[in-house]
Amino acid sequence: MADALERITNLVALLMATRAPLTLEQIANELTGQYPLGEAAMRGAFERDKALLRETGVPLETEVLSGSDAGRTGYFIDRDRYELADLHLTADEQHALQLAVAAARLADAHFGLLKLGADRGSAPVVMANIPELPELPVLREATAARAVVSFEYRGSARQLQPFSLLLRERFWYVIGHDLGHGEVRTYRVDRIEGGVGVGEPGAFQRPTGFDPRSVFPADPKLLGDEPSARAEVLVDQPRAGGVVRELGDAAVLERRGDGGVVVEVPCANLDAFRSWLFGLGTHAEVLGPPEVRAAVVEWLGALVAGR
Amino acid sequence: MSAARRGPRPAGERLRRLLVMLPWLMERGEVPVAEMCERFELSEPELVKDLELAAMCGLPPFVDEMVDVFIDEGMVYAGVPRLFTRPLRLTAPEGFSLLTAARAAMQVPGADPDGALARALAKLAAALGDDALGGAVVVDTPAPPAAETVTAAANRCERLRVVYWSPAADERTEREITPRRVFVDRGFWYVIADDHRSGEERKFRIDRIERCEPTGVIDEAREVDVPVGDAWFADADLPAVLLRVPTGGVWVAERFPTRSVQPDGDGWLLELSVVSERWLRELLLRLGAEATVLQPPEWVGLGAAAAAELLARYTGGAAD
Repeated sequence: MADALERITNLVALLMATRAPLTLEQIANELTGQYPLGEAAMRGAFERDKALLRETGVPLETEVLSGSDAGRTGYFIDRDRYELADLHLTADEQHALQLAVAAARLADAHFGLLKLGADRGSAPVVMANIPELPELPVLREATAARAVVSFEYRGSARQLQPFSLLLRERFWYVIGHDLGHGEVRTYRVDRIEGGVGVGEPGAFQRPTGFDPRSVFPADPKLLGDEPSARAEVLVDQPRAGGVVRELGDAAVLERRGDGGVVVEVPCANLDAFRSWLFGLGTHAEVLGPPEVRAAVVEWLGALVAGR
Repeated sequence: MSAARRGPRPAGERLRRLLVMLPWLMERGEVPVAEMCERFELSEPELVKDLELAAMCGLPPFVDEMVDVFIDEGMVYAGVPRLFTRPLRLTAPEGFSLLTAARAAMQVPGADPDGALARALAKLAAALGDDALGGAVVVDTPAPPAAETVTAAANRCERLRVVYWSPAADERTEREITPRRVFVDRGFWYVIADDHRSGEERKFRIDRIERCEPTGVIDEAREVDVPVGDAWFADADLPAVLLRVPTGGVWVAERFPTRSVQPDGDGWLLELSVVSERWLRELLLRLGAEATVLQPPEWVGLGAAAAAELLARYTGGAAD
């Protein structure tokens, strides 16, 4: 039995060399004896080959023919679309990219590097775990092509002009103009349900210099209806140094003789604020405003009562 | 080499590799078999099989368009190239991963915004239709202040004197460490280091390093492994807790590695590894009254106890 790789390689060669699109019958005729006889079996084998080409990334072009083959589908490979454009990377640029790929340990990046002609790099001192999701490459291409994407999210259909993908902490977000809501929205990519549909390219303009970090605050404590809301928190000496490093000197309202500090902390999002506060254990106490202090007391009281 | 792979290799995977190998080979004309095996992560029989097969490919009527490749005495030779002279374009996952890897590397302290990586990234972004300025793929893992000193020390194998706040013990300690690898996971920066206080290899979270100074002492270079994914946290020796959380508490399962996750009515049953009792107390405080510890019995009242202790600060006159 012929090796499956042989027929598919011949198919790529044939479709790349041909001057005119070829019908399935013409293909089978050229690749003598490589496709099974009989219309159904031949068609089935060819469909499998097409799927294999798609999976490999080989762009297969189709065209509805006229003339003697009117109405039939012709196939060819456009060499310009098939071939990798030379990036003209210098040796030091290749090396820098190798290190970056070795640090991130993404299998597809490693293979892409081979295509670019770079060697495999040895792992650098700084490495990263980067989450991978099947939707990400699709969303990125749609972003570059300015194509509207559609997907299910929390049980409803969304249509989004994707502007950016953002990796923050361990999650990927897609950020763009939501057509249904008429405003910029952020979606977590791992919570997209099912696949991502991609519309026609060139469907929108990306705002110049769009920076997803400005839309999506790094500090979850700022996510809320009143982003300017602040709480005053007393942090005892054991944790004071760390908190000041985290928030910056500008957040310090008072330094106490025992080494403690009073700091100003965003509390627009109470859940996020509480998480931050409780991370300090018994070394921190909300001094004000009264409603935030009361909310923390109430939260703790409910937990005690649940005993 | 790829000795771990077993069974027949799928045709798609072989085609993908062949379409990269052929142009690379044609550009060089001749290459040792061993070099090619290493580069393309194939065993020698796998490489020979695929190249011999490629040599039979092409278009029979046009002899000079056949793939002209042969193997002799440990060398691979390629003749006049006509087909497959350029590699196949980058696929969507390859393009995405390359961009992401490069953007992540630009976050490393000391990355030169005009350096080789930045230039490579600009060329790559242009080829992939990504925006050069404020690109469409953004990796935001800002490095804590100590990361630069720690990274520099890891590059030189230099010992650092550090003050470290340990969450498990809630105490600050001074120690000397030799950084080996810096590692970013879930937005946090870690260093794997030789800890000269315990004499063992340990991991430290860099944002918990309160002070660090180079000592000038250079240790011998040593390779360390960096675990992938949840292996980073997995530790079979840690005790487990079984929690019931409401629907909104599912973030716990996303943030911390779980041993099991099961839907339970309108909530979830989560089994988590417990790094320290202190960590569990904080987690229960965050989750509030709607979360319940089911197992083990000694932790069932832990959340309420932690809340009572903290509440005393608010009601017991500790506040001024």
